[in-house]
Amino acid sequence: GDSWGIFPFLCAALCNLPALPALNCSEELGAGQSIQQTYDLTRYLEHQLRTLAGTYLNYLGPPFNEPDFNPPRLARAERVPSATVDLDLWRGLTDNARLAANYRAYSRLLCYLRVLDGQVGTAELRHRLAHFCASLQGLVLSIGGVMSSLGYPLPAGPAGPPGAPPGAHAAPNDFLKKMDDFWLLKELQTWLWRSAKDFNRLKKKVPPAVVTLRLEARGF
Amino acid sequence: DSHIQYERVGADVTMKCGSMDWDAAVTWTANGTDIDESHLNGSYLILKNVDLSQSGQYSCYEGSSWHLKYQTQLRVGTPPKEPVLMCRSNNYPKGFYCSWHLPTPTYIPNYFNISVIHGTKDMVCEKDAVPKNRCHIRYLQLFSTVKYKVTLTVTNALGKNFTTLTFDEFAIVKPDPPESVVAKPVPNNPRRLEVSWQNPSSWPDPESFPLKFFLRYRPLILDQWQHVELSDGTSHTITDAYAGKEYIIQVAAKDNDIGTWSDWSVAVHATPWTEEPKHLTTEAQITETTSASTSSFMAPPTTKICDKGAVVGSGAMAVCWTAGLVVAAYSILFI
Repeated sequence: GDSWGIFPFLCAALCNLPALPALNCSEELGAGQSIQQTYDLTRYLEHQLRTLAGTYLNYLGPPFNEPDFNPPRLARAERVPSATVDLDLWRGLTDNARLAANYRAYSRLLCYLRVLDGQVGTAELRHRLAHFCASLQGLVLSIGGVMSSLGYPLPAGPAGPPGAPPGAHAAPNDFLKKMDDFWLLKELQTWLWRSAKDFNRLKKKVPPAVVTLRLEARGF
Repeated sequence: DSHIQYERVGADVTMKCGSMDWDAAVTWTANGTDIDESHLNGSYLILKNVDLSQSGQYSCYEGSSWHLKYQTQLRVGTPPKEPVLMCRSNNYPKGFYCSWHLPTPTYIPNYFNISVIHGTKDMVCEKDAVPKNRCHIRYLQLFSTVKYKVTLTVTNALGKNFTTLTFDEFAIVKPDPPESVVAKPVPNNPRRLEVSWQNPSSWPDPESFPLKFFLRYRPLILDQWQHVELSDGTSHTITDAYAGKEYIIQVAAKDNDIGTWSDWSVAVHATPWTEEPKHLTTEAQITETTSASTSSFMAPPTTKICDKGAVVGSGAMAVCWTAGLVVAAYSILFI
């Protein structure tokens, strides 16, 4: 009866998380539901990041782990994509532009984080970073899924940090390297806050989708 | 020749009679009352260890001619203590406001100067006419990673002091409490109360920046609150109220994702519906009435999640972390 309708939805939700075993599902997922999922993912990541950032900044040591550390922005740090945007511009973004900005930002942030992952000292940090990167990858795929279901082309993503292979723009000294890491985490945090708002806006604008119910025998 | 003179509480004040010589014969008055000669040193007026009550107009008259030679307003006060500064965004994403006050009065006029720095940029905080001691700033950019640094300096004739606040854009978001909270009984439902409210009018864009709400309620006779968090909608039906008891209900609001909870709204009172007592005539009729109305006092079932729809047989499915989030929502749809 009607209660079987839940399963295609759950199945598609699982498919969007690459860390979990892929299930054989062919149901179409409405854009409305995947926007909700993407929104939920950003909240989950934001929560995860709080713990990760705390651990990482402690690893960097003072002054990076001081709560009122407020350094000026150095020119080199602007390689990391910034969530900061003019208010009216942000309001006026088309759905496509809004999603593309998120997709591009997280793709690049993921690259930078992976570089970080290869460099950190402690096993605990490596483990946390790896887990976070996996979740972040899930977010990128989720955003991609939303774009596809709405018929938007995926932005051409760079394989690594744009312009040069990792390490080419290496900081000349240890302190500047730590500053880069600090700003990377800050931008990531701000992006996750922004994405929650981006996806709220998208939720309202994209009409609730119809989930196609295909009842197939699965042995449930 | 009249002017104002500011002195600290507890200070020793010496007033000279204008250009008169030290040995001139003069008379001093305070607010029109003659001052005793014991306070004079020649033509100088000496006030030791001044207190607030000594504020007033001091005049000096030449001895014989009673010409007014000098006049001054003495204002006794204190230099300012460190001011109290608060900044808050109750109208996100439009901007934020800062308000301030002194912890203790100085009894003399104070001047406040506020500066707001965002990274390398100086921003102008526009002073509000009402209330005083408040200014507001419009955000030019949203989702900034750079902190805002607000410095408030207070100056008066006896000294100065200052305080600084540094914060992220998201940290100061705190909406005003929900408005127009209304609680009504539900006819024929002795354990229900229908509560509704509105978004605070200061919140400019609830569409893009939705609010979530926290409702708390208790019967007046009990101290312990019950809480409900609501991520959607501006109404809720309480279904477990004690029959016939008056309730006190409040609602708070928060941006869905960032910032802190608002203060509690104004409290509203409501009592669930109770059946009108029928006229007592014969004993038989009373018994009849009681048994007939028993059914209406049964607690109505609280909303149950249909377990049928939530059954997920496979172990692999249980791993899915989103299942928990969506099962509840979707199951209700499929009840």
